[in-house]
Amino acid sequence: MGTLNTAMWIAAQALDVDQGALNVTSNNIANASTPGYSREVVDLTEQTPVESGNLTVGMGVNLQQIQSVRSQVLSLLIEEQTTQQSGSQTQLNGLQQVESLFSDPTQGVGANLTAFFNSISQLSTDPSNPAQRQSVITAAQNLVSSFNQDAQSLGTIQQSLNQSVSQSVSQINSLSQQIAQINGQVGQMQQLGKDPGTLLDQENQLINQLSQLTNVNEIQTENGLTLTTGNGTALVVGNQSYSLQLGNGPTGMQDVFSQGQDITTTIQGGSLGGAIQVRDQDIPGILNQLNTLAGQFATSFNAAQAQGFDLNGNPGQALFAFNASGAASSLSLTTMDPDAIAASSDGTAGSNGNIVNLMAVESQPLPSGQTPTDSYANIVAQSGNLASQAQANLTASTASVNQLNDQLGAISGVSINEETTNLLTYQNAFAAAARVVTTVDQMTTAVLDMGSGVTAVS
Amino acid sequence: MRVNPNFSPDILQDLYQAQSQEQTALEQLASGKLINMPSDNPAGAAELVQNQALQDQTDQYLQNTSAVEGQLQTADSTLSSVVDSLNQAISLGTQGANGTNSPEDLQAIAQQVQGIQDQMVQLANTSYQGNYIFAGTDTNTVPFTLDSSAPDGVTYNGNTDINTVQIAQGNSVQTNLPGSQVFQGSGGDVFGALQQLITALQSGNSTNIGTATTQLGTALNYLSQQRVFYGNVVDQLNSNQTFLQQEQVSLESEANSVDGANLAQASTNLSQAQTTQSAALAALAKVIPQNLLQYLQ
Repeated sequence: MGTLNTAMWIAAQALDVDQGALNVTSNNIANASTPGYSREVVDLTEQTPVESGNLTVGMGVNLQQIQSVRSQVLSLLIEEQTTQQSGSQTQLNGLQQVESLFSDPTQGVGANLTAFFNSISQLSTDPSNPAQRQSVITAAQNLVSSFNQDAQSLGTIQQSLNQSVSQSVSQINSLSQQIAQINGQVGQMQQLGKDPGTLLDQENQLINQLSQLTNVNEIQTENGLTLTTGNGTALVVGNQSYSLQLGNGPTGMQDVFSQGQDITTTIQGGSLGGAIQVRDQDIPGILNQLNTLAGQFATSFNAAQAQGFDLNGNPGQALFAFNASGAASSLSLTTMDPDAIAASSDGTAGSNGNIVNLMAVESQPLPSGQTPTDSYANIVAQSGNLASQAQANLTASTASVNQLNDQLGAISGVSINEETTNLLTYQNAFAAAARVVTTVDQMTTAVLDMGSGVTAVS
Repeated sequence: MRVNPNFSPDILQDLYQAQSQEQTALEQLASGKLINMPSDNPAGAAELVQNQALQDQTDQYLQNTSAVEGQLQTADSTLSSVVDSLNQAISLGTQGANGTNSPEDLQAIAQQVQGIQDQMVQLANTSYQGNYIFAGTDTNTVPFTLDSSAPDGVTYNGNTDINTVQIAQGNSVQTNLPGSQVFQGSGGDVFGALQQLITALQSGNSTNIGTATTQLGTALNYLSQQRVFYGNVVDQLNSNQTFLQQEQVSLESEANSVDGANLAQASTNLSQAQTTQSAALAALAKVIPQNLLQYLQ
């Protein structure tokens, strides 16, 4: 049989449990807007009942544990998509700078190519005219400097991406350190069977930040988490972090090393991967096309010059010079002398017979298979395609991240309505348990009064 | 079913999207262009580069056309004067050949024809913007000089080369005839016939005068044929000009079809984006304060 003491004890226990549950509710409400916070729920169980004769008497409630509600799968998916999102964003930022170099069809290499050939075409109407010859030299100069400028601007964008690579690497190292520290504690708690709730939230937040920088693989082990780069080299193992290093790569850019191994080409996604992609693939691709165009144009034009004679009847000399290692950036004029244009085919000043050869460079395909203008148009399209692809990837991954966050929020997010309901429930339960205490107290008083002859309380 | 209690990120996302649509529409309205960056339409941007090149080339062809037209017209009107002078020489020759002239008369006529010869040399040495137009491509050299020792009475110092100028895609015109071809051609040698007439007049042989006059007539015919060349090219230039102007219009409309923003569409998009935005804002304002606590006071 139960005793009044037992009833009192059960009620006191219930008061404790309700207070505990209220704490959890209060904590949930307090953290309703905390980024990365997963709501906590109380796990209430019945106390082990007591056998009393042939009766089994319940012994009240027990607050078994406080558990964070989370979804490991969704978290992983979010990290993955976050990596893509931030990679696309970084790519887009870089590529938008690249495409802006090619955005105005009335300026730049394309327009200057046409202007250059137009000045030669104009010269055909009066081949010995010094003013028209000067126009050709001026147009050639403009063309040269637009090639130089594009190459230089691409180099500048590359340099700034190179800096962001260094910054990302040092951020990754600092995050790895923090994660390793927390990871050690999480591992200890998990081994003791405790819910590392808050720590896990913090760890997840940090891993999320890390995912914005680069793609990481996550492996759950007995000692907590192991994080590796996309390449599989370790970033965090247990409470130990492994830093990435920077070193000079073959192209003079900063390469990323992990434990002595150059992992630059294997890094994908995240702002680090995005920056490396634009720095090492996209920009060199465009620069390469620009160099091919500059080099082949200059070579073809010089060859056409050699077929004719300059104003003074001398065989035409090369007009353009360039360095094969970077034709666009090194393109220059060999002379500023307007007489040097080899318009003549017979050595007389009035002949324009070689202009047809000079003009053929504009209309005939270069060795690359396209005319100079078409090659340039290709570069423009290429720059636009890269940027619009990055934009499309960004839109897709952003939608995906939002949707996954919605799903995770449905599981882990704090609902004020729900917490308010809990608040009322626990408040009522607390009040009821308190009433039990009062009642038992009165009953105890009645029992104590039994022997004093005083009538029981009504 | 539990839903994500924190829906403000979703609404914010909608707001961002509406804002970016608004920005795009505004940009199109302000610039009048659909393609403000190559990524707006990469293939279209490439097309615009090619179109711009074609437009610039067409402008240049137009400039070439008017530049050579001046030279050709000068040549044409020069040859017109040459024809006048030759006709004058022929009537002088006819007059000299009729057998009724005294030797003094013939000497006087010979002097007149010599005057015409001087005039012809001057005409054949006509220059346009500092270039001799009948010197072949050797345009800095005076093409014809009087030379009494030469059978034609003149020496040709130019060359027999020609220049061509491109006036449209795949269309070039010859812009000159060498002076040797115009004035000393195999089909009619103007200077040779003139010199023969002068010699015949000076010698007073009326048969020779007649022969020389006939030759002069042949030379005139031949020269007139040469002159047709200039007229033809000028005609070609004129019709080319019309063609190029049409070409310009069609290139511009082509560019516009790729790049021109539909302003009505853009303003509709703008107001649509604005509507979406205010709807999202209204929703956000309504939804945030709404929870159970409000009903519990």
